[in-house]
Amino acid sequence: MHSSLVPLALIAELTHRCPLHCVYCSNPLKMQRASSEISTEDWSRVFHEAARLGTLHAHLTGGEPLARADLQGLIASAHHAGLYTNLITSGIGLSEQRLESLIAAGLEHIQLSFQDSQVAGANEISGTRSHEHKVKIAQMIKRLQSQSALAFTMNVVVHRQNMDRLPEIIALAEELRPDTLEIANVQYYGWALRNRDALLPTRQQLEQAQHTVSSAQERLRGRMRIDYVAPDYYARYPKACMGGWGRRLLLIDPKGDVLPCHAAGVIPGMKFDNVRERPLQWIWQQSEAFQRYRGEEWMQEPCRSCERREIDFGGCRCQALLLAGDASATDPACFLSPRHSLIEEQLLRINSGGDMSENAAPDRNPTIEPADAWQYRTNPGESLASR
Amino acid sequence: MFAPEPNCKPHLAAGCRWAESTPDPNANERTLLFPEGAIKVEGTGRAILELCDGESTVMQITQELQAEFEAADPVRIQTEVLTFLQQLHEQRVVDY
Repeated sequence: MHSSLVPLALIAELTHRCPLHCVYCSNPLKMQRASSEISTEDWSRVFHEAARLGTLHAHLTGGEPLARADLQGLIASAHHAGLYTNLITSGIGLSEQRLESLIAAGLEHIQLSFQDSQVAGANEISGTRSHEHKVKIAQMIKRLQSQSALAFTMNVVVHRQNMDRLPEIIALAEELRPDTLEIANVQYYGWALRNRDALLPTRQQLEQAQHTVSSAQERLRGRMRIDYVAPDYYARYPKACMGGWGRRLLLIDPKGDVLPCHAAGVIPGMKFDNVRERPLQWIWQQSEAFQRYRGEEWMQEPCRSCERREIDFGGCRCQALLLAGDASATDPACFLSPRHSLIEEQLLRINSGGDMSENAAPDRNPTIEPADAWQYRTNPGESLASR
Repeated sequence: MFAPEPNCKPHLAAGCRWAESTPDPNANERTLLFPEGAIKVEGTGRAILELCDGESTVMQITQELQAEFEAADPVRIQTEVLTFLQQLHEQRVVDY
């Protein structure tokens, strides 16, 4: 009945292992160990199954995908299946020789993450000394780009602590010369939700950021593309999360479970089928997890009768669960949600207490001192702890 | 807003390529892949993009399309080519 829906992109979460500990990591709080990761052969079969379903892109991510020693083979098999290959990486673990071999295997796009324009801020957010190394990696990518058709995107996640440095972040990008600069606001799930008090930007910061981005887009037009992802907490309507549940995207986690999105594991009672046990086509078309919030039957009011229900699909199911405690409720980010006050309270808290946008440093924050209070992401097998 | 120069030679930007095959049986349509997405093109859009081979100049592409669609207004075709290329350049799908 949903055979017309095609998973246009496959997000391959190859591993949860990562040398970085970013405070807004999109991985689940409970991570999977290296020993449970599916094999090169499993992934290869899955890439071919996806291509037959009509999938166009394979986004190889983690954790840090470079932590997989077989990454070259994984890229080769995705490429061989006809998928467009995109590597989403911190760059840690990448040598010039390794990048050359990944390009030879069929890598078409590399998205390198940065946490800030300056060393101290970047290292604080990632919990590692990684910033200066990333700058070198970006220079290496540019060198190899001149000999290949590889595309290069620089990704920077923005939040209250670094948003005032957006002009410097854009200047760093101009120096490193990616094809695209992606500036994305934090989305509040998992680790980021734990650190929300220290990450949520003020309204004034956001207005300034919008202005900075617009003028940079105009100035750099035709030279560097700038994509900007605004935070849904400040939006009037919710985001069409993942393009709608089970409509365009699927995610396969390190042990081979297939999820409609990164965070779907937080929804109680969700059962995910595994690529080692079921064909991908069956999982996409018929599994309970993918059927659960497809279409409109599950919707409550105000979504059920809303004229935007086919535009934003009621927003994000995981956010509805995490904030309103009900995964089939309207996403509280929507101003029409009866639980929208859950968002407004957060914004009020962040935006009250004077002009914090000029004093976004942790020591001026009235409620929290992030340097001591960050919840850093752990690695598989480690217990939750603040560093 | 910069329209492309008549003598520059557009080509697909880094990381952009045609999908090898598409499950869609509609033969008029081709899919162009780029880092974060894809566009389906047909008609003049497809014709313009297929001429972005790094060899033909913007002027040659325009002339070729004017010859192919001789019933259409040549000025309109020229405008269409320039606008389309400009948009694709801003989207980093086409480079010069």
